[in-house]
Amino acid sequence: MSRINKNVILALLTLTSSAFLLFQLYYYKHYLSAKNGAGLSKSKGSRIGFDSIQWRAVKKFITLTSSQNVPVFLIDPLILELINKNFEQVKNTSHGAASECNFFCVPRDFTTFALQYHLWKNEEGWFRVAENMGFQCLKIESKDPRLDGIDSLSGTEIPLHYVCKLATHAIHLVVFYERSGNYLWHGPLRLKGHIDKKFVPFRKLQFGRYPGAFDRPELQQITVDGLEILIPKDPTHFLEEMPHSRFIECRYKEARAFFQQYLEDSTVEAMAFRKSAKELLQLAAKTLKELGVRFWLSSGTCLGWYRQCSIISYSKDVDIGIFIQDYKSNIISAFQDAGLPLKHKFGKVEDSLELSFQGKDDVKLDIFFFYEETDHMWNGGTQAKTGKKFKYLFPKFALCWTEFVDMKVRVPCETIEYIEANYGKTWKIPVKTWDWKRSPSNVQPNGVWPVSEWDEVIQLY
Amino acid sequence: MDDWKPSPLLKPFGARKKRSWYLTWKYKLTNQRTLRRFCQTGAVLFLLVTVIVNIKLILDTRRAINEANEDSEPEQDYDEALGRLDPPRRRGSSPRRVLDVEVYSSRSKVYVAVDGTTVLEDEAREQGRGIHVIVLNQATGHVMAKRVFDTYSPHEDEAMVLFLNMVAPGRVLICTVKDEGSFHLKDTAKALLRSLGSQAGPALGWRDTWAFVGRKGGPVLGEKHSKSPALSSWGDPVLLKTDVPLSSTEEAECHWADTELNRRRRRFCSKVEGYGSVCSCKDPTPIEFSPDPLPDNKVLNVPVAVIAGNRPNYLYRMLRSLLSAQGVSPQMITVFIDGYYEEPMDVVALFGLRGIQHTPISIKNARVSQHYKASLTATFNLFPEAKFAVVLEEDLDIAVDFFSFLSQSIHLLEEDDSLYCISAWNDQGYEHTAEDPTLLYRVETMPGLGWVLRKSLYKEELEPKWPTPEKLWDWDMWMRMPEQRRGRECIIPDVSRSYHFGIVGLNMNGYFHEAYFKKHKFNTVPGVQLRNVDSLKKEAYEVEIHRLLSEAEVLDHSKDPCEDSFLPDTEGHTYVAFIRMEKDDDFTTWTQLAKCLHIWDLDVRGNHRGLWRLFRKKNHFLVVGVPASPYSVKKPPSVTPIFLEPPPKEEGAPGAVEQT
Repeated sequence: MSRINKNVILALLTLTSSAFLLFQLYYYKHYLSAKNGAGLSKSKGSRIGFDSIQWRAVKKFITLTSSQNVPVFLIDPLILELINKNFEQVKNTSHGAASECNFFCVPRDFTTFALQYHLWKNEEGWFRVAENMGFQCLKIESKDPRLDGIDSLSGTEIPLHYVCKLATHAIHLVVFYERSGNYLWHGPLRLKGHIDKKFVPFRKLQFGRYPGAFDRPELQQITVDGLEILIPKDPTHFLEEMPHSRFIECRYKEARAFFQQYLEDSTVEAMAFRKSAKELLQLAAKTLKELGVRFWLSSGTCLGWYRQCSIISYSKDVDIGIFIQDYKSNIISAFQDAGLPLKHKFGKVEDSLELSFQGKDDVKLDIFFFYEETDHMWNGGTQAKTGKKFKYLFPKFALCWTEFVDMKVRVPCETIEYIEANYGKTWKIPVKTWDWKRSPSNVQPNGVWPVSEWDEVIQLY
Repeated sequence: MDDWKPSPLLKPFGARKKRSWYLTWKYKLTNQRTLRRFCQTGAVLFLLVTVIVNIKLILDTRRAINEANEDSEPEQDYDEALGRLDPPRRRGSSPRRVLDVEVYSSRSKVYVAVDGTTVLEDEAREQGRGIHVIVLNQATGHVMAKRVFDTYSPHEDEAMVLFLNMVAPGRVLICTVKDEGSFHLKDTAKALLRSLGSQAGPALGWRDTWAFVGRKGGPVLGEKHSKSPALSSWGDPVLLKTDVPLSSTEEAECHWADTELNRRRRRFCSKVEGYGSVCSCKDPTPIEFSPDPLPDNKVLNVPVAVIAGNRPNYLYRMLRSLLSAQGVSPQMITVFIDGYYEEPMDVVALFGLRGIQHTPISIKNARVSQHYKASLTATFNLFPEAKFAVVLEEDLDIAVDFFSFLSQSIHLLEEDDSLYCISAWNDQGYEHTAEDPTLLYRVETMPGLGWVLRKSLYKEELEPKWPTPEKLWDWDMWMRMPEQRRGRECIIPDVSRSYHFGIVGLNMNGYFHEAYFKKHKFNTVPGVQLRNVDSLKKEAYEVEIHRLLSEAEVLDHSKDPCEDSFLPDTEGHTYVAFIRMEKDDDFTTWTQLAKCLHIWDLDVRGNHRGLWRLFRKKNHFLVVGVPASPYSVKKPPSVTPIFLEPPPKEEGAPGAVEQT
């Protein structure tokens, strides 16, 4: 080969390879370094970590949702917690360019966002645009629980979750629905037959194991890691709600079957009672919420919810339970301020406390305080005439949300065990004569109050 | 590349004179050995770096590809799953390319079977007379439309022509006659049948039987006909069996641009027929309307419940007008369909709206009533924050300023407890009795037909005691009962913001529609500014009425109120007449007056404390019932209230028809 050619080849090769090299540098920066996470690129200086796959997925997602007018807000508990801890710092750096990627670049599988369905105007086009932008998306639909309570309606399925994957990072979008009772609801994430179970590691998702109920959060806009996002105004409150957000739907189908067997009592008196009982429960819920005291539906009210999704019209009172550790000394005065005078008080904080308030129209509010033992819970009862004590035993339970008479209230998650403890296996059959000392299947005598204490533990008004 | 070594012995190329500029440059370089060497070494190093980077790149890419492969396997599963969800397209390309079609025509029975599946069977007595038409999709064989035209009766052939003209070319048409189909089959219709290639159709005679299968605009695929031998007898039953070749999906579909809207359109148009230009390949009619938004729209977040049955063509027309109204928000609309009907659901999907089906409970009026209850409950469940709901029916046209009208008046419902509803419909607002689109009234009767319901009214009063399924009550009649209404009133416009076009219905027929609904006035002016809305509040309205009555000219009570000359030929005046009304429920004279004014006279509508307000010859015309009305005090002592005798009983009004 002649020397000229050699030189020509040399020059050409140099040119092409430098072109290649430039291209590779560009390519390398954009695709491969991201795979190795934030750590590798630390040395690059001013904008640390911004090439991580998480950050880019989130950025792309934010671009997508803002261009498509999808009103999303961040609910990822890990990031919210981080933001919450460093809130001052977030606020200070909000408008300047962030120098370090602190929140969205932590290696994880998911970033979780939420969407309030009723604020969403154009559901349709969004999905396709997402896929065009390189996301692989999965939409999980189910029937609308808000129609469950109504006989014989079947609607279009509603989207409950979206999972959009960009390379190795996935965005989980939880769809929140407004429900009667002024709260937001999200559905469970259930993979139907044809959905790829390995699309993302579903087990690691923070939302979707159960349906959940949340207070409607107010939102605020912040700039984190150079991204403008909405987060709940009170992240602490949202984070506190999360572990206790599990929601159970009323058993509407069974309730309908129940009413087919035992016709609904629609006399004027029954309707009037249900109305006053509902108002009383609403008032109690409001009062206790202001005090920050958790309560759940107990006894007859709980049975009414579980069996027939309504208030049992002949039950005469509203029953709720409260853990004794949540007891606050100002409960009585708070109820009195709300217009519910104390009717009687049995027991004391240390033992068998029970309060009863007089509502309107002769409807009574009974509050039973529950005491926790190693393997069970119990609440106490007292017979005013004799000073006899009774104990009602329940298996241990956790608290879940449900919707009852247009309200978000708690019930024991293990409802059937709770009800069977109280009413036995025959709870499905309505019983109109009920003796609180004898009828419950979980009652047992618990001695007698010493006469010296009667003044304290038996107070009738 | 790696083992290439620069030669130290490169010589200058002095001998070659003819050189390009490049070589000249190179020549110059070669004169400086050190520099040349340096360049060469640099280039080699550079190339080495390139090689290393390349190798790294290849390794990394391979790793990335491996990872992607692990991911992509499940993806394929997912794609397949998606494919399974979309069977209609696949079916189009299935190997079976021929449908076998059976069509039967006789006096008492018709049926059509496609590939052994009966798609039409009618042997009911006294029903289904005339020509049954079925349209099949030429690519899939799906039934796209099923109609019967009772061409024994007048005008039905016109409807048939209209329908057949709307069917897209290429579709498979099946016709079969039950009982009689020729008596009112006029020339236009016969000409159309001839243009379809039918031999017997244009010559169809009295009580002939006839079965026809053909492609629209294409060949006839089979036809059978049997003449009736005599006036009193029918043609022999005919059974037509024929093969229909299927065409490809591509041929059967239009080539619209691939947009979200057109995807909806394609889905709709491949399923149903008879909606005209919405499925036209060239220049289809839009299915998105984007009307102007309403400034300061107070009803933007008010849910709209559309109550529907199985009248998909009505629903189509209704939704078009609703979605064209200014200030509409489509995501607030829910269509409630009474029954598991597919076609209304298809119409809902075409417009991208939410549709909910309802298992029918009970029969007739009670079924409608239960459907209303479920729909209203569902509406407030779906929109728990809403304080109101707009209730519409599938046989209404919606005025372009419907939402503007509600936006301007809805605060009344919040501020005035004495109100029961706001309705877009004026029962007495006919072409000749309504005039002023800016004017509102208070009336004691609930008109329905496009109205606003307050949530608290529904949740606290109506829902708990809604008539149970075994009570065969009309929901609207029940709502009008004093126990429910409890003295409250509705706000209505003078010129209605809805138009009732339904002719077929539970309580509806052609005659009734012609007499009571056809000439109803309907506002077509956009953005009408309502006048003095706050004067509709309880106390203010009384002041307003007293003012009106004070300035009103008393008409000549000696004249016959049914005569046109009862009102002078003026414009813009206010007149008052006094009629006899002994008690609050004595409407004898009013009913007769309503009858001769050709307005709603089947029950009392539009009254406010014994006062009716309407327009005659562009004059505001007030009618006061004396002495029951508190406005009787305005009657000059000299005037004797008009009394009209009811006609003798036997004539009777057209049955016990009621407005739905």
